[in-house]
Amino acid sequence: MAIIEVTGVSKTYHDQSSGRAVRTLDNVSISAPENDFLILLGPSGCGKSTLLNIIAGLTSFDDDGGRVLVQGKPVTGPNPKLMAYMFQDPVLYPWRTVLKNVEFGLEAQGISKDERRERALKYLRLVGLEEFAHAYPRQLSGGMAQRVAICRSLALETDIVLMDEPFAALDEQSRILIGDELVSIWRQVRRTIVFVTHSLTEAVYLGQRIALFSARPGRIKLEIANPLPRPRSIGTAEFNQMVDTLWTQLKAESLASIKREPAEQEKILLPKE
Amino acid sequence: MHRVPPALTRLALILALLAVWELATRLTSVNVILIAPPSIVLWEIVRVFAGLSVPDFYLNAGITLAEIAVAYAIAAVFGVLMGIAVASSKVIGDAFEPILLVLYAIPKIILYPVIVLMIGTGYASKISFGILVGIFVIIFNTAAGLRQVEPNYVRLAHSLGYGKGKIFFKVELPAAAQTILSGLRLGFGYTIIGVITGELLVVNVGLGFLIDWASVNYHTAQLYAVVLITLAIGVVANLVVSRLERRWVR
Repeated sequence: MAIIEVTGVSKTYHDQSSGRAVRTLDNVSISAPENDFLILLGPSGCGKSTLLNIIAGLTSFDDDGGRVLVQGKPVTGPNPKLMAYMFQDPVLYPWRTVLKNVEFGLEAQGISKDERRERALKYLRLVGLEEFAHAYPRQLSGGMAQRVAICRSLALETDIVLMDEPFAALDEQSRILIGDELVSIWRQVRRTIVFVTHSLTEAVYLGQRIALFSARPGRIKLEIANPLPRPRSIGTAEFNQMVDTLWTQLKAESLASIKREPAEQEKILLPKE
Repeated sequence: MHRVPPALTRLALILALLAVWELATRLTSVNVILIAPPSIVLWEIVRVFAGLSVPDFYLNAGITLAEIAVAYAIAAVFGVLMGIAVASSKVIGDAFEPILLVLYAIPKIILYPVIVLMIGTGYASKISFGILVGIFVIIFNTAAGLRQVEPNYVRLAHSLGYGKGKIFFKVELPAAAQTILSGLRLGFGYTIIGVITGELLVVNVGLGFLIDWASVNYHTAQLYAVVLITLAIGVVANLVVSRLERRWVR
């Protein structure tokens, strides 16, 4: 049985000032089996992050018959015992040490001080940042900060980890290295990961399955399995072919999203009648 | 070449200024009633502390310090609470902020006669004026600090299952601490100004009274001495608050 089941979900934003309704998701259905590493890939503005937020219970969706079930139960709000959510930015609190940042999610669940510390240190060790446990976030590089954020998510030890373009702000080398770390952690401590990205390389490098979104309003255009064996390496013939296949499908959608943007800006600039 | 430490440069500058001041008063025919040389002022400060100079120094200084303490305690507590109210509720913010901004913008001193008429010439009027001068920067800094909290800080805590109250104490308040504390520091300075201004406007007790007494009696050395002591109180107070500020915000 699928651990995440999204059926017929749509999302419409109502712009208060212009009164326009923008449909970001249109009748999306997708499911993820346990231990999946599912990539949501699409052009910017296609609603892939919105879908992730809906699964996480951070955003509502249209009340028109759509359903989101996680472990068979409808999602009503954030459920940090079941799903960890990771932002695009590390979002570390500068007044807390690295250790205290990792413990932050566990504090909310009333876990004892000793166990919090033990779990936080376990994951910091896993990403090689144990010696920075008592440092403050400002002492970390961007890549290190993001690894701390990964620790904070994983320390919740939830069955599901939702990641919204978590490495988008990093340089390419860090992104690959941190991706390697994530995959190796995922293989050690099996979790279901749903990972949003707009990078083809990242999608093929990390994903077990890839769901490709159309331009707005977002629909799932294609769902493919990624059969490449791990550890993967970027630039092999099979790798490139996979990227090509995705790009062929994605190109039209990206063009559509790029063409639409200036037109929309004009609309916004027009004075109201 | 070694760089001269700034503290040393500062000390040299102050000493040079004092030397010029001393020489100017000694070598020219400026009347000592108008400008007292630093050597005499220094001696006068010693005499003030020995209780030999101005009338009831410790009583008057104590009164001023007590007024400042009470005024600041009230300004700090209510300033922070009002700042929280203004920032956390749109209704309260929209209703009260324009009024507060107008009050903040006007020179508070024009309200002093009104305060005196309302609550008399006693300590209460000086304390009230201290509060009035000091509280606004505390309100506005608290509100600004809370409003500038990164939305993601709050979203993260929300996603981790924290409720509104816990988010306030564990995330919003610490995130705004720096701005709130600098408001509290500035407010402290303003409260001191308010209290002493009050004492100078309606003269009966306190350091303001001593300054006025020395001034109208042409006790220039005493005047300088008390002014310097008042200044020193302000500097020390500011130092203590800055120190606390730095300890709480790392």
